[in-house]
Amino acid sequence: MSEIKPIESAPTEDSAEETDWAAAKAFFDSLKTEKPRPPKPRYAVTIAVSSRTLFNMVEERKIYEEEGLEKYVAHQVEHESEPLKPGAAFPFVKALMTVNTRLRALYPDSEELFDIVLMTNNHAQVGVRLINSINHYDLTIERFCMTGGKSPIGYLKAYMTNLYLSKDSEKVTEAIEEGIAAATMFMPDTETQLSDTQLRVAFDGDAVLFSDESEIIVKKHGLDTFFQHEKQFENKPLAQGPLKCFLEALGKLQRKFYAKNERMNCPIRTFLVTARSAASSGARVLKTLRSWGLEIDEALFLAGAPKGPLLQKIRPHIFFDDQMFHIEGAKELGTISAHVPYGIGQKYNRGKLIEQPEKKE
Amino acid sequence: MASTIENTDVKQKDPDRAVVVAVTSREVFEDGAEGDILALRDDMARKLLMLMHEMNERLQQESAKELLQFDVVLITTDSQQQQQSSSIISSTKHHGLEISRFCFANEEDFVESLQTNNVQLFLTSDKSEASQATQKGVLSALLDHQEASPPSDQLRIMFCEDAIIQPDTGPTPANREAIQGFAAQLGEIRRRFSLADSPLCFILVTAHGSKDSCASSLLTLRSSGISVDEAYCLAGAPRDPIMPLLQPHFTIRISFSDLEE
Repeated sequence: MSEIKPIESAPTEDSAEETDWAAAKAFFDSLKTEKPRPPKPRYAVTIAVSSRTLFNMVEERKIYEEEGLEKYVAHQVEHESEPLKPGAAFPFVKALMTVNTRLRALYPDSEELFDIVLMTNNHAQVGVRLINSINHYDLTIERFCMTGGKSPIGYLKAYMTNLYLSKDSEKVTEAIEEGIAAATMFMPDTETQLSDTQLRVAFDGDAVLFSDESEIIVKKHGLDTFFQHEKQFENKPLAQGPLKCFLEALGKLQRKFYAKNERMNCPIRTFLVTARSAASSGARVLKTLRSWGLEIDEALFLAGAPKGPLLQKIRPHIFFDDQMFHIEGAKELGTISAHVPYGIGQKYNRGKLIEQPEKKE
Repeated sequence: MASTIENTDVKQKDPDRAVVVAVTSREVFEDGAEGDILALRDDMARKLLMLMHEMNERLQQESAKELLQFDVVLITTDSQQQQQSSSIISSTKHHGLEISRFCFANEEDFVESLQTNNVQLFLTSDKSEASQATQKGVLSALLDHQEASPPSDQLRIMFCEDAIIQPDTGPTPANREAIQGFAAQLGEIRRRFSLADSPLCFILVTAHGSKDSCASSLLTLRSSGISVDEAYCLAGAPRDPIMPLLQPHFTIRISFSDLEE
């Protein structure tokens, strides 16, 4: 899964990378605005967002689907001075920016920051409207790839992406298969007031932070076998899941605040929201996290109760889960949800095995 | 004294409407003895010529009288190559290369020949040749024979913006005036094809500038007639991992930022 990036003191750079870096630094330093320059990708936590997750492009998408590419691009160009409305990932991006501001204040020379990259396969002419919209909301996004139809997967790797958010589940699946943490974003049905001082990220456990090994047992042998199994293997760490490295990246940034005595005022808070119950299967999860050296701020064991109401209280900027059932429940009650298409959960819908159509070649 | 000879095997193009591209003989052929058929240096030039030829054919399919075409000139840039004129002509015909004209010049006068032949784009892998041409107002782009092989179904032209200009990296970047004529006609060729699955693709890369400088270049190119298809703003991110994915056939370096403004 996507490897954690090296620590800052490691002397590794080659000269071409340094040259590009120095030139950009010089450029940004020469700008008259107070614009913060983007961090060095090697040390940053890189979040790639698609245009449709950053902005609400539902209307425009309809034009593309009903009238074709040429009409769609023409429409976007015609309206390029009109900013787009915020999309599902917008609050998450604003929260990342808040964390960056706090990090820059405490560590002015550090490159360990969030780096937000716009990764879209939109045509570059549509890009003008996207850039204008980014400027309208004053978002700190300096890097982008507008691939004009090509798959973004190669670019995700080239940018050392730590997390990729898109509306396109095929691209997300491809990214996960390539070892990049990724999720398909869903706009909630109602709007929720979210914190503007703290980034709040909620994760499901199995098949998100952890592998789907235990979920396989539930699906194939039922809950009782699952409980027995988890008790028996309580001390054996679960294998890691697609979002483990992202949690790790968040933990690393959290520790920077702890190091400056800001634990009580940390602008990043993480939540585990699992259907597991604390008594019968929760221990293994906590022990696994400990064995990985990872902390999670709050662990909520629901013992099968619906996640929606609890998430309403937590108000995360993003909630990751592998099962669409939970995503739908969360979305209905106003939580911004992101589906992680990984593991055995993809073959089931509400506990029943889905008849899989032949995979497209 | 430079001389220009038409290739009788290839249809001549309308000088007013064609996009005239010159490529040096060294990009196309290996050295050889006079009288021999010269071997092709590698696949690069042949593929490039084929792509342009295929586009010419497609343009003609729309309208048989179509004058908007790529017009390729093969130019020699040193006296040794200049002496090989008959070998070059016969080798071109032997390999079936779509070259309309040959221009036999040497180090002293090749730039003048580019000008008299109204060359709008000069392709070479020799940095010094490219610099000399640019200094006299002929837009140049560097070919790289080592680059990962670009696709053979799409001509990918990259416009690249760097903040730093290293003295040994080739011609000075083109400003807006320098690309004007070339851009207008090339842009028109692009517009004859659809947005998706086009045989011609324009890429813009901003290596060091901000997204706003990239957006500004996008708009400048647009007003010059070129609607960029793909745009990448690296803002200092290392370019080595990204460049192999872009697969350009050649790169035109640009610099549109006017520091006085």
